[in-house]
Amino acid sequence: MNGSRIGTIMRKDVSEFARNPFFVFITLMVLVAWVAVFWFLPTSVDETIRVGVSQTDLGALLPVGDQTEVAGFALVSFPDEDELRNAVEQGEDGIVAGIDFPPEFVASAAGGGNPRVVLYVPAGIPAEQQTMVEGVIGEAAYALAGIPPPVNPITEAVVLGTDRVGDQVSLQAQMRPLLLIMVLMVETFALSSLIAVEIQQRTVVAVLATPVRVVDFLAAKGIFGIGLAFSEVALLGLLIGAFAVNAPAIVVILLLGSVLVTGFGMIAGSYGRDFMGTLMVAMLFMIPLMIPAFGALFPGSAPTWIQLLPTYGLVEAVVRVSVDGDSWRQIAPALLMLAGWGLAAFATGAFILRRRVAML
Amino acid sequence: MSTSPTPPPAPSIDVEGIRFSYGDTPAVDDVSFSVAAGEILGFLGPNGAGKSTTIKMLTGQLTPDAGSIEMLGMNMPGERQQIQERLGVCFEEKNLYLSMTGRENLVFFAKLFEVKDFEPEPMMERVGLSARLDDRVSEYSKGMRQRLMMARALVNTPDVLLLDEPTDGLDPVSAIAIRDLISQEAERGAAVLLTTHDMHEADTLSNRVAFINQGSILTIDTPEALKLAHGQRAVRIRTRDGDGIDDQVIPLDEADSAERIQTAMSADDIMTIHTEEATLEDIFVEYAGRGLA
Repeated sequence: MNGSRIGTIMRKDVSEFARNPFFVFITLMVLVAWVAVFWFLPTSVDETIRVGVSQTDLGALLPVGDQTEVAGFALVSFPDEDELRNAVEQGEDGIVAGIDFPPEFVASAAGGGNPRVVLYVPAGIPAEQQTMVEGVIGEAAYALAGIPPPVNPITEAVVLGTDRVGDQVSLQAQMRPLLLIMVLMVETFALSSLIAVEIQQRTVVAVLATPVRVVDFLAAKGIFGIGLAFSEVALLGLLIGAFAVNAPAIVVILLLGSVLVTGFGMIAGSYGRDFMGTLMVAMLFMIPLMIPAFGALFPGSAPTWIQLLPTYGLVEAVVRVSVDGDSWRQIAPALLMLAGWGLAAFATGAFILRRRVAML
Repeated sequence: MSTSPTPPPAPSIDVEGIRFSYGDTPAVDDVSFSVAAGEILGFLGPNGAGKSTTIKMLTGQLTPDAGSIEMLGMNMPGERQQIQERLGVCFEEKNLYLSMTGRENLVFFAKLFEVKDFEPEPMMERVGLSARLDDRVSEYSKGMRQRLMMARALVNTPDVLLLDEPTDGLDPVSAIAIRDLISQEAERGAAVLLTTHDMHEADTLSNRVAFINQGSILTIDTPEALKLAHGQRAVRIRTRDGDGIDDQVIPLDEADSAERIQTAMSADDIMTIHTEEATLEDIFVEYAGRGLA
């Protein structure tokens, strides 16, 4: 390989990329818009369930106000039933339900009666939240009646995996891998378009009629693609705080991710006939490659078929490092998977591009 | 003491019996020719005759199924890189970087050839594009792009020039400019292989022409020799005769030829005088049984 010639081709590619208004636009748009979206997302999860009550005469049995915000549950007092109902309907102050205790509740409950309590819930309330609020009403009645609940088991919670009680993953943190992958996908398209244009206009034929060898050409495209993808994803990573935890691991993950998408970019570029054709071919890769990142937004283990997708290792490694603070040893399986997919995609892309160029 | 005769210089391009097929379709079949330094060989044939496939084998884009190619004493494709360092190619398609300027295109290719201290200005001056040096190629006309293609083919001062239809579809001014450049390069000593289906271009530019049809070379010779061999040694003199036209074809090899010509020339109203040699197109039709179109 001839480093000087590879460098010359790469500088030409950078120049062409920088002069393409479309590439410049989507690159800047992605950086500005996604960074803005990221920082507008909530950085924490409010786990407190707020329930409104219209009766404050329950005294110490049902204290209202900030002092009740323990164990993720808070009671908020309302002066009358109408205001309570309105607050539930409008979802004011995060009120998820309202309990309208009747004036005779205390007397009736203390006397062992069955007072009628109205529970206001908004449409679409999760069933478990409604059950929980109904439990609160029952607890209050038992307490006022002076008798214990029928059963009072001692519960020991055993958390399997990372205990996130009180430390839920914010939407912002969940979005981080998705944004990183989306940037990589955009650069996949940019690289594939540049390659497709080079093939379509047959400028590669002119280049290969000089002393440049095919391997020099492939190396230039590969290094340019990896450099382009990595520089952009690293810049976005910096802007959204992806390097806050174990920066060296994140650098390695993003570099391997750049190798992966460069391989797919070379494949898409080899088959693209024009702008729309390249876009369509690139989309065939981009959609499945983004699925693992969407999967990270939802709790629970990913199905096996998602775990087999090439970008799963990338998402898994980013989440494990940046959210769970996992060590190199813990992310090793995900890294190995990502490296394997990356090398396979790059080798396939180079092979297909080489064949495509040879057919010109 | 006797002196041995100086051996003729080795040809810059020496092709022996090359064949190439696209799948089962033969494109070039047993083609042999040579081009000496400073010589222009015109490859004359219709579209699909095998001209571009031959050029592709000479540039190393395609490897012959059989036969051998020697250029500048080196084997293609065995010593492809060394040959390409001394090779200039002007492709049929205008494969320039459109988003780059003329200057950037030339400098880019000069760097690929590792030409030291390349200056694009004199080269652009040669092709009449110095005023458009820093304009993007996307703003160039077809003729300007073709001239830039020629300039690009010359950035490494090549010893062998392969020109694939360099004036195809150009306006007369651009075509003349490019033909002048080709002549200058041959005078400099470059071996030039010029493919064309323009009979006039082949006739005026080439030292020798090769007729190629359906992948095979039909004949190779100088244009003059071909025309003499296949034309008629005669002059046609047309004179006005009252309301009609007197059309005489006078053979040049007969005893009274001079007298007959003199008589015809003494007429008051000569309309035209032409030699009756064949055109290259006539000869091509005679060989190939079809025209160049």
